[in-house]
Amino acid sequence: MAVQEPIAIVGMAVMLPGAPDLESYWRNLVDGVDAITEAPAHRWDPAFYDPAASADRADRVYCRRGGFIDDLAEFDPTRYGIMPNSVAGTEPDQLIALQVAASAIADAGGPDRLPAADRVGVVVGRGGYLTPGLVRLEQRVRTVNQLVHTLHELLPDVAPDRLDLVRQAFSDRLGPHQPESAIGLVPNLAASRIANRLDLRGPAYTVDAACASSLIAVDHAVAELATGRCDAVLAGGTHHCHDITFWSVFAQLKALSKREQIRPFDRGADGILIGEGTGVVVLKRLADATRDGDRVYAVVRGTGVSSDGRSASLFNPEPSGQAMAVRRAWAAAGLDPTAPQAIGLLEAHGTATQAGDTAELATVADVFGTNGDRAVIGSVKSMIGHTMPAAGIAGLVKAALAVHRGVLLPTLHCEDPRPELAQTRFRPIGVAQPWEGDLRRAGVNAFGFGGINAHVVLEQAPAATGVGPISVSEPERVLQLAAADPAALAEILSADDATVLATPLLPGPCRLGIVAPTVRRLALARRVVAKGVAWRGRSDIWFTPRPLLPAGRTAFVFPGLEADFAPRIDDVAAHFGLSTVEHSASNVGRHGLGVFSVGRLLADALNRLDIHADAVAGHSVGEWTAMVNAGLFAGSSIDGFLESFDPDSVQVPGLVFAAIGAGADRVEAAIAELPGVVVSHDNSPNQSIVCGPQVVIGELVRTLRQQNVLCQVLPFQSGFHTPMLAPYLEPIRHAVSRFELRSPTVPVWSATTASPFPAEPAAVREIFLRHLLEPVRFRALVGAMYEAGVRIFLQVGTGQLASVIGDTLAGRDYLAVAANAPQHGGLAQLRRVVTALWVEGATVDATALDARQKAPGPSLGSARAGRPVRLDLGGALLSLGDGAHGLVSTDRAPSTLDGMANGDPLAAELAGLLRETADSAVAALALRDVQKTEQQPTTPTERESTVHVSVDGMPYLRDHCFFRQRDDWPEITDRWPVVPATTVIAHMIEAAESAGPRAIAVHNARFARWVVAAPAVDVPVTVRPETPARMQVSFGPFAQSTIELGDEYPAAPQIWQLDLSTERAPDILADQLYTDHWMFHGPQFQGVVKLTGLSDAHVRGVLRTPAAPGALLDNVGQLLGYWIMTTQSNRNIVFPVGVRRIRFYGPHPPAGEELDCVIAIRSITDAELTADIQLCRAGRVWAELDGWVDRRFDSHPETRAVERFPDRNTLSCRQPGDWTLVFERWPDLASRDLIMRNHLAASERADYDRCGPRVRRQWLLGRIAAKDAVRQGMWAAGEDRIFPAEVAVSNADNGQPLVAGAHGRALPDFGISIAHCAEAGVAFARRSTRVGIDIEEIAEHPGSAVGFALSEDESALMAGLSGEPHLWFTRFWTAKEAVAKAEGTGLRGAPQRFAVVSATESALTVEVDDRRYEVSCTTISNPPDLPPRDYVVAWTCAPATEADREAAA
Amino acid sequence: MNDNVLGEIAEMLREVLDEYVVDDVEITVDTKFYDDLEMESIDLVALAGLLEERYSGRVNFAEFIADLDLDEIITLTVGQLVDYVDRSMQSVKVV
Repeated sequence: MAVQEPIAIVGMAVMLPGAPDLESYWRNLVDGVDAITEAPAHRWDPAFYDPAASADRADRVYCRRGGFIDDLAEFDPTRYGIMPNSVAGTEPDQLIALQVAASAIADAGGPDRLPAADRVGVVVGRGGYLTPGLVRLEQRVRTVNQLVHTLHELLPDVAPDRLDLVRQAFSDRLGPHQPESAIGLVPNLAASRIANRLDLRGPAYTVDAACASSLIAVDHAVAELATGRCDAVLAGGTHHCHDITFWSVFAQLKALSKREQIRPFDRGADGILIGEGTGVVVLKRLADATRDGDRVYAVVRGTGVSSDGRSASLFNPEPSGQAMAVRRAWAAAGLDPTAPQAIGLLEAHGTATQAGDTAELATVADVFGTNGDRAVIGSVKSMIGHTMPAAGIAGLVKAALAVHRGVLLPTLHCEDPRPELAQTRFRPIGVAQPWEGDLRRAGVNAFGFGGINAHVVLEQAPAATGVGPISVSEPERVLQLAAADPAALAEILSADDATVLATPLLPGPCRLGIVAPTVRRLALARRVVAKGVAWRGRSDIWFTPRPLLPAGRTAFVFPGLEADFAPRIDDVAAHFGLSTVEHSASNVGRHGLGVFSVGRLLADALNRLDIHADAVAGHSVGEWTAMVNAGLFAGSSIDGFLESFDPDSVQVPGLVFAAIGAGADRVEAAIAELPGVVVSHDNSPNQSIVCGPQVVIGELVRTLRQQNVLCQVLPFQSGFHTPMLAPYLEPIRHAVSRFELRSPTVPVWSATTASPFPAEPAAVREIFLRHLLEPVRFRALVGAMYEAGVRIFLQVGTGQLASVIGDTLAGRDYLAVAANAPQHGGLAQLRRVVTALWVEGATVDATALDARQKAPGPSLGSARAGRPVRLDLGGALLSLGDGAHGLVSTDRAPSTLDGMANGDPLAAELAGLLRETADSAVAALALRDVQKTEQQPTTPTERESTVHVSVDGMPYLRDHCFFRQRDDWPEITDRWPVVPATTVIAHMIEAAESAGPRAIAVHNARFARWVVAAPAVDVPVTVRPETPARMQVSFGPFAQSTIELGDEYPAAPQIWQLDLSTERAPDILADQLYTDHWMFHGPQFQGVVKLTGLSDAHVRGVLRTPAAPGALLDNVGQLLGYWIMTTQSNRNIVFPVGVRRIRFYGPHPPAGEELDCVIAIRSITDAELTADIQLCRAGRVWAELDGWVDRRFDSHPETRAVERFPDRNTLSCRQPGDWTLVFERWPDLASRDLIMRNHLAASERADYDRCGPRVRRQWLLGRIAAKDAVRQGMWAAGEDRIFPAEVAVSNADNGQPLVAGAHGRALPDFGISIAHCAEAGVAFARRSTRVGIDIEEIAEHPGSAVGFALSEDESALMAGLSGEPHLWFTRFWTAKEAVAKAEGTGLRGAPQRFAVVSATESALTVEVDDRRYEVSCTTISNPPDLPPRDYVVAWTCAPATEADREAAA
Repeated sequence: MNDNVLGEIAEMLREVLDEYVVDDVEITVDTKFYDDLEMESIDLVALAGLLEERYSGRVNFAEFIADLDLDEIITLTVGQLVDYVDRSMQSVKVV
């Protein structure tokens, strides 16, 4: 057999129980973390768990523990160019596989290191199980129908419309249907989506070989690489199915562990626990990886696959088949598995079932023999459960990490190993231990149901690899140990290294921390601890017998300019998402700015790690950083100062600095005779800096060196901290006078005075200037801070400051540690800081360093990464929610009434009344609750004022009306003037500012209700101080927010850098927003002057500040509105409901000023749209709005024209026969309200309000159809634009509908008839004629109804007609109704009076008295997006008497 | 190579640094000041003081360091210092 080409694993990523990423997985593996938990209730209903249930209940399981990833399953759709609202409908494992694949690529060094896209393949192992997306599809397609079908069988009396409500309620709980989500049914998408989103163009497919799937995928990948078809392949497996059906299968097979613990190879093992997860490795040919300098985790030497053939049953494992796969893999590797040092670790399949473990151990004994070095056997299933198709990849990644890092990893719960192990060369281990030996080699098993077997041989990478140009780095391990005292700690350390490394962290004040523990460091630590004296940092070991905290205080100390400036902050900035400026030491100004920005960045990073200062200080210009860090000045003052700082302006010609390795006293003596030389920095007992003329300093350095004093002339020149600077100070003095000062958050210490800065601004400014003219007394400063209780000095920057502090504090108990150092990467050094502080008793958030690396991926125009969406992996039973019990009413009285209501108007009325009463009661109770809260006692400092909201007082509101009316329309309420939410914010700001200085931020603004300005309303505004700087403001019941006040605007943040590669040009010009009525806003709110560009994740434009209050931010909403209208096909009416935070960085721009507005879409669901916004004026950020939330209202594509031009469009469609038909396309209350207000005038709205909730919906449909019928009739006659409100529809006393022109609109004399049923409304208008129209749903009617409605003649007529009797009955009935309306009488309880004398499918003749009506008739159906329903519509025109007809003849 | 000088310098390093580091890392001519001993500039000052004390002006560590650029200081080994001390002592003898 030919030896297989060696394949390198160059990247890996996983998402497994307890392990969101590779590094956490590693920690869990080393530490032996048991990630098994109880099944979350949303995965499957807890009711399925019933260990006492009879064995033949397939729907009951006796085990509920397993491996779950729910709390880790977050997905950031925008990163992969996926619309957030499509996430819910997508099969979760596809998204997880995509994310893990991207992480694996990132781990391999990023997409740039991959070969050409057409040479990269994807093979994913995945089974065809009932995954969550499929379950939801099944529920939508089958279960709902099963439910309704069964209900109908059980409760035949329940009316069909009630069953439809059940169907609807059930479907509603599934969320909106997205047709594209059904594609999740196709299993290969797990691989195809990866190829699609990451643009990989080699073969991409899934393989299913049950539990062997992942390793078969690896086998395929190896083949793709070996044949040269691909140059890199992503291989792995995914399994995210915890469906109860899946559990049921294993429960029925009795394969689940009864004791709910998975114990591979333990004598007491009783079965598996089910896990889930995804893992992906990036594979390349070893030769290529070596050439490319890739980091190689391990080399795949051989893969082997076999089937059991006929040798066993389909679900019993078979050693002979397994052995064949293992042997084939070793043969492919060209290796002898029985050789003495052939293998060090076997990651076994280890299912912990009796049959499985027995067969596997037989295989292992057979293939590997019993000779040779004792190797370790284990299975990660003991920690994460059996991850099925992903099991192989979980094991492969584990084995590769073990090989790479030289650690043999433990297996849990194998306390009493099976006796068969004695016949193998393997042993299980319970704690991690170093992997000794010359060459680390491992095997991985995966054996699947049905007799499919796979094995992979892994080997340590050849020494030459792993050190290349690649910059992938792995976080170092930190060993943390704690005990009561040094003796107890020494006791822990007395064990061997492996045991020490596996020791769990227990509470205790005496702590030891070792970064990257090695044999040498462990040995050193033992001696350190044995001595019991504090040890702080050398060899990356920290130990203290008595922690400095909490008694000691912590200071941030910011370095100034030093000879070497090489900060390592890029990884820190990237990790925490902080911005960094380019640093350079090219001149004093740039160097200073660099030092300053590095200090700020690291301070931010420390804060993220929950490390905070009790005091701050700085060395030289670092003092400025300290002042800014504590908020003594606004950061922007210093930024602006440094930006505009011209170093030449303060450079004293010919002056240089020299660092001297001697104390100031000795240096003073040495310079006493030298002209123009002064000590500028008294740093520590053994270091000072002098400043003086270059030639003199040169002489001093020579002299001192001869005296064996270390000296170094520094590379920058300025004359800072010397009296020589005085003549050059003016620009700085001027700048300082303009700095705005505030109270610092923590004391800022001055190195000029060696004491904290005073409070008065004048004194602060004076010291600021003295600092430039007087020596830096850093030695005195550190001493004074120590006296004041500071014990921990964090050097917040790069350089030597910590060691200078150490020189001053030598012999005392303190910690000085640098947050940045040239020896280590930025994050690695922060890990040391965290370790050092933890040892001193600090509570630090070290996990912030471990946070999952954001996987890179195509960024489609988003300004920043979007928010991750939690994936719903659940498949629990659906609950219809609170309203469910009323759907198929079990409450006797109303159900009886409902039944009667079909035929009895009185019963219907009563039922409606009862419901209305109940609704009113609910409303009243809710109101009472509101009042209760409102009546809570108020704090004495609360202040209340009133805002009178009216269009007279706020005339600009005439340009903020939701509905268009004729220009001269007198009724303002028909336009619905509403105070914009952003104007409400302006009012809240105004109210808060009356209590203090200017508003600098608005937090958690919430808009509960429209503030309608007509009729006028007085709104009480309450300002309640939370703190002196934070005011809770409520604007009546309409809105509330917290306004933050400050004397000073904060420093403006950086302007967002947009990825414009996917930006497209807007399809309209800005003024079309208004001229084409995309927006309802009138001139005073029309501020969007330019639409610059948009993508799926952003939109930007230019806003010209309108004069009206709040209008500028309202224009932000308009720009966002444009985005949604142009990107979303439905639900694109939006109104703001809240803003999480608005921050202002300057005063409100004056009217007319133009601002650049960028809106980044953060998430979009059917219900809500969330965006972040940045507004810039003149290249500087003026305001940032985070978490602007728009609520989306239902809007149907067919309603859009009416919304924009209601005077030219109708919701109804004119039908053949010239009647109009409208369907209800506004299912929710809010959308219906908007539609209602767009059509009804004031008096009609009063009628609407009087309607009971039950009839309101249909009533509105009828009104719309009537107005539309009239308007269409007039348009047909050549009339121009008519608004719906201009056609007034009312009822005569006898109930007959009437139409009339309103407010000066002349209307011809129309006869009108209106009818409605379910979701449809119809109207028929004809000039000067009485008309009748009716619509009825086609449905079965009981025989009694037929007997009531039809005479014997009619029944006989109907019996002679071919076709469905109930359809004919509906036609008869509808025709009678239509005629009764035309008569102006209604049926009046005597339907037989209206006699159908002839009938075809499209025309009936009805006689009443001596009048004969020809009735047209048709059937219509609800459109597809409404509940399926068919109707008959019948309409009639003028009556004809017998005489008329004879005359006509 | 003067083993005596190596021993003396090792002792000075032990004094400058915490004794355990030196105890643990056997100090050889290949031991690096920066990588192996984690010495910082202020430690070099202390070492200079000890050298001055021990060899009383015959060995000028400050001159030695001043002639090195940053990269050379970072890779400086104990052996280089021992050589320098050797040479300094011999030149003193010659003079």
